Amino acid sequence: MEKLSVEEVKHIAHLARIFLTDEEIEKYRVSLAKLFEMIDEIHQIKGYDEEIMICPWQSDSSLREDKVGKMLTEEEVLKNAPCKNGRFIEVPVMLNE
Amino acid sequence: MSKYEATIGIEVHAEIKSQSKIFSNAQNSYGKMANSSCTVVDLGYPGALPTINQEVIYQGIRACHLLHSTITEKMHFDRKNYFYPDNPKNYQITQNRTPIGRGGYLQIKINNEVKKIELEEMHLEEDTCKSVHKGRMSLLDFNRAGVPLIEIVTKPCMHSKEEAVLYLEKLRETLFYGDISDCKIEEGSMRCEANVSIKEVGAKTLGVKCEIKNIGSIRNVGIAIEKEIQRQIELLENHETIKEQTRRFDDKLEDTVLMRYKETGNDYRYFPEPDIPFVVLTDEMIDHALSSLQLTPDERREIYKSKGIQEINIEKLIANRTLSDYLNTYLDTELDFVIASNLLLGDILSYLHKNFIQLEQTKLTKEKFLDLVLKIKNGDLSNKNVKDILEDVLSTDASVSEIMQQKNIQNIKDSSVVIDIIQKVVTENPESVKDYQEGKDRAVKYLMGQVMKEAKGSINPKLASELLLEFLKNTSN
Repeated sequence: MEKLSVEEVKHIAHLARIFLTDEEIEKYRVSLAKLFEMIDEIHQIKGYDEEIMICPWQSDSSLREDKVGKMLTEEEVLKNAPCKNGRFIEVPVMLNE
Repeated sequence: MSKYEATIGIEVHAEIKSQSKIFSNAQNSYGKMANSSCTVVDLGYPGALPTINQEVIYQGIRACHLLHSTITEKMHFDRKNYFYPDNPKNYQITQNRTPIGRGGYLQIKINNEVKKIELEEMHLEEDTCKSVHKGRMSLLDFNRAGVPLIEIVTKPCMHSKEEAVLYLEKLRETLFYGDISDCKIEEGSMRCEANVSIKEVGAKTLGVKCEIKNIGSIRNVGIAIEKEIQRQIELLENHETIKEQTRRFDDKLEDTVLMRYKETGNDYRYFPEPDIPFVVLTDEMIDHALSSLQLTPDERREIYKSKGIQEINIEKLIANRTLSDYLNTYLDTELDFVIASNLLLGDILSYLHKNFIQLEQTKLTKEKFLDLVLKIKNGDLSNKNVKDILEDVLSTDASVSEIMQQKNIQNIKDSSVVIDIIQKVVTENPESVKDYQEGKDRAVKYLMGQVMKEAKGSINPKLASELLLEFLKNTSN
């Protein structure tokens, strides 16, 4: 098994927005590589790409009629927001995607 | 540009017209108070289950039909995973592996030739919430979260900004007339992104592409593409490499600016959305969706052309759907479409603009319009007469004949009376007659004006002009 590079682990940590110590990076170089190995095994299953199983009962979607229903009040929308500003939910800016 | 050629692909996101959102029954609306149209599904609450709005599927079927795409009869939705505050559940529900439409094309006319702009695919997805950045904070409005979108992607098959602009105009017109989207770019209900690359003429592989986002008008798409082509040529000429990147269009600079370099690989980790089972389209569903489609812009163009309307007026009608729809209600009548279109695009449209009203708010009935056009055709009403009576025709219940009677309008159709008037005008303007005899065309126009003035506008101009020319010829001989 080939370990992941430090850069690869750092990149994944960046995408997940989590901070890793050098010690943790070393740990994940191995454990993530193991995980990817398992995923590769799954990919080898015959017919993996042929028929997707979305849910175990394999039924078709029943479609909803295009009608407006009950919506949340402003109070309900803002109730669980960590921070609000007037009618808006306020979060730290994140311009650099 | 002789040494290089550009390759352009366009991605358009159009908000789909519907009552409710794609995966929740919150209202699909624009311009309402912030956070007033949402449910727990739109807010991405854990455990909230999405349900598909059938109208969105129907709209997708209509788009496929109008853009000649192959409809995917069995499809599913996928999760596109990314972390950003505009999407609190951390994934967008979209279609990655089974887009509703594959292939297809739109035809544009460029340099008098028809060109097919080929499509790669089109898929349905949810919009994200709207975020407004304010200092170090962002303000989120979830009214837009879950608004249904259709993303339409072309193949990299365009080679100039003109082609891109014509394609976008055609696409907007098609979606608008299909009632799929209102395509208001300024309100964000149609958003365009362009992928631009250049390569040396004849080179087999495409150059490195750069994506331009945030382009607020079709005109600006043209400018953005032109600027991007220039930028890439300059880099190559200076022996620099083009890096794959996302740029945005800056309205004030009228230029593209760097947003970010592309991260390597596909980090979205798409996988099937387990909360939404397969959607299987039946022939009945497809027939039902297509049954509500009205005439397309190109079908209208053909009809108007066959009715003798000039191309300039045809395009004006297509640009004003209310008038085009109105005119189409007369397709099974004997209406003179040339006179009718002149009237609608001229005096009637001015009246509507002046009074800030729509055609349906006037008292113009079908009978009145037919009568009005017929009276113009028969010479019972001159252009001036029409101007005199139009306000009453549009704002009262009186018939055209009643209004003509009230205003004492009786158009002179008796040739001998017209000749008497011409005789008088000619006698009073010997200089102009002399000018005419010396071949000055302007003299006829002046004399014609005097004749119409003398008759207080109540002669059919065609009749007056014919008689005047005949009279002048006879005088010269």
